[in-house]
Amino acid sequence: MTSAVLEAPASARSTGFKRYRETLWLLTARDLRVRYSTSALGYFWSILDPLVMAGIYWFVFTKVFERDVGEEPYIVFLLAALLPWMWFNGAVSDSTRAFLREAKLVRSTNIPRTIWVGRLVLSKGIEYLFSLPVLAVFAIIGGAPISGWIVLFPLAVLIQAILTVGIGLIVAPLVVFFRDLERAVKLMLRFLFYASPIVYSASDLPAGLHFWSAFNPLTGLFGLYRATFFAQELDWFLVGGSIVVSVALLLIGLLVFSRSERAVLKEI
Amino acid sequence: MTNPAQSPSRDRVAEAPVIEVTGAGIRFRRNRGGRRSFKDLLSGSSRRSRPDDFWPLRNVSFSVGRGEAIGVVGRNGQGKSTLLKLVAEVVLPDEGTVAVRGGVAPLIEITGAFVDDLTVRDNVFLTAGLHGMPKKEIAARFDEIIEFAEIGGFVDTPYKHLSSGMKARLAFSVISRLEEPILLVDEVLAVGDRGFREKCYARIDELLTGGRTLFFVSHSEKDLRRFCTRGLYLDKGKLVLDAPIDEVLARYARDTGT
Repeated sequence: MTSAVLEAPASARSTGFKRYRETLWLLTARDLRVRYSTSALGYFWSILDPLVMAGIYWFVFTKVFERDVGEEPYIVFLLAALLPWMWFNGAVSDSTRAFLREAKLVRSTNIPRTIWVGRLVLSKGIEYLFSLPVLAVFAIIGGAPISGWIVLFPLAVLIQAILTVGIGLIVAPLVVFFRDLERAVKLMLRFLFYASPIVYSASDLPAGLHFWSAFNPLTGLFGLYRATFFAQELDWFLVGGSIVVSVALLLIGLLVFSRSERAVLKEI
Repeated sequence: MTNPAQSPSRDRVAEAPVIEVTGAGIRFRRNRGGRRSFKDLLSGSSRRSRPDDFWPLRNVSFSVGRGEAIGVVGRNGQGKSTLLKLVAEVVLPDEGTVAVRGGVAPLIEITGAFVDDLTVRDNVFLTAGLHGMPKKEIAARFDEIIEFAEIGGFVDTPYKHLSSGMKARLAFSVISRLEEPILLVDEVLAVGDRGFREKCYARIDELLTGGRTLFFVSHSEKDLRRFCTRGLYLDKGKLVLDAPIDEVLARYARDTGT
């Protein structure tokens, strides 16, 4: 190559935000494709899973125990919070392996590293949206009327996305160094399932806990989701707490992530 | 740019450097079993050096102009691969800066981006897409990629069912078609049979003629002379010599006593 410098063909690669979005989408699509191409039931798993869970809780809490919590129809009440919980639970527990499972891939590309968390939240979020028809069917069968608060549904999705990305950004890099965290997160999630108003309503909590429950961002969030069918579930105080905590977690997540990024890349 | 031409081989390149490495260093902890604390992890890059730190690469500065072909020389464990990873931006420096203008086609860990369960076709779109190639362009080049990799009959076969030779060929084929202005080559060309290796070399020649910048790590003197005009000699994590490739190879031969 002692000849004159020739012009390399102008690359058509996109830059900045557009590239981020494209790459995020590409990896998310890959996630979904892998999941659906390797299983015979494919899409139905994302319905079947919450359906079985809902069936169990419905049986336990309406047939076995005398239930005095929640709203009627209980199955709609339950699914309205259980489906977003599955999104949260799936994305957070997957984020413990965000770097470890894809180590080879992470090592071979220089895409913005937050994508490794973002695509988990996005792919689980898409599965959540795919599972909404189940809720709709039960709402029609159970005769649950839709309230005007359905307009707040996008807000609920937004809060949850912020919250889940924030937690993912904290968990994903730390697990690389503290493997114990993986199991700790699983345990925390199990605790959080009962500490959040999923099988019960936030208003069923003892009065003394109302204030403190605002610190659990899922409390206000699930109330917001449920407001689509049960307007009385909407508690602006709790929603406010949910927003504040979610945004705070996202900021902490971004900080933790950017501080630990170079160490993570060396470790995997 | 802030840093004018320093090296002898750069004076024919008048424009801004495509790769600019300034005082770059990377630190590992010698004692990997040692307990890490949260404080350690989050204290950022500016924290003071510790006695058990070890630097595979430190105080490395150089810049590369468009169209240059650089060979990186050094014994094993002297920081060659680390340097390549820094330039590929898959590892970030703890000290100094690494600025790369333009995209990089990294032929390191090339099979990394491929997914076992997806077909060859899906994998090509995925990997090329991850490196920033638009879908339309991938579709236009798809046949060319498959033909180069010599796996015509396996387009819809899951990637995991390919032989390791096929995998390497496919990977090389995809990455070398990325149209990125900078090409990084680690010693991946050891894979595959002789015929395919020749093909790879011909492809690299073609890319060089097309004005790409090459960053090449190898132990093979023959390959280095074939492709490179300028050499970087790394020893104990330091850049010892930055000179025309013949000079660098002579010095390397003298140092290693061969």
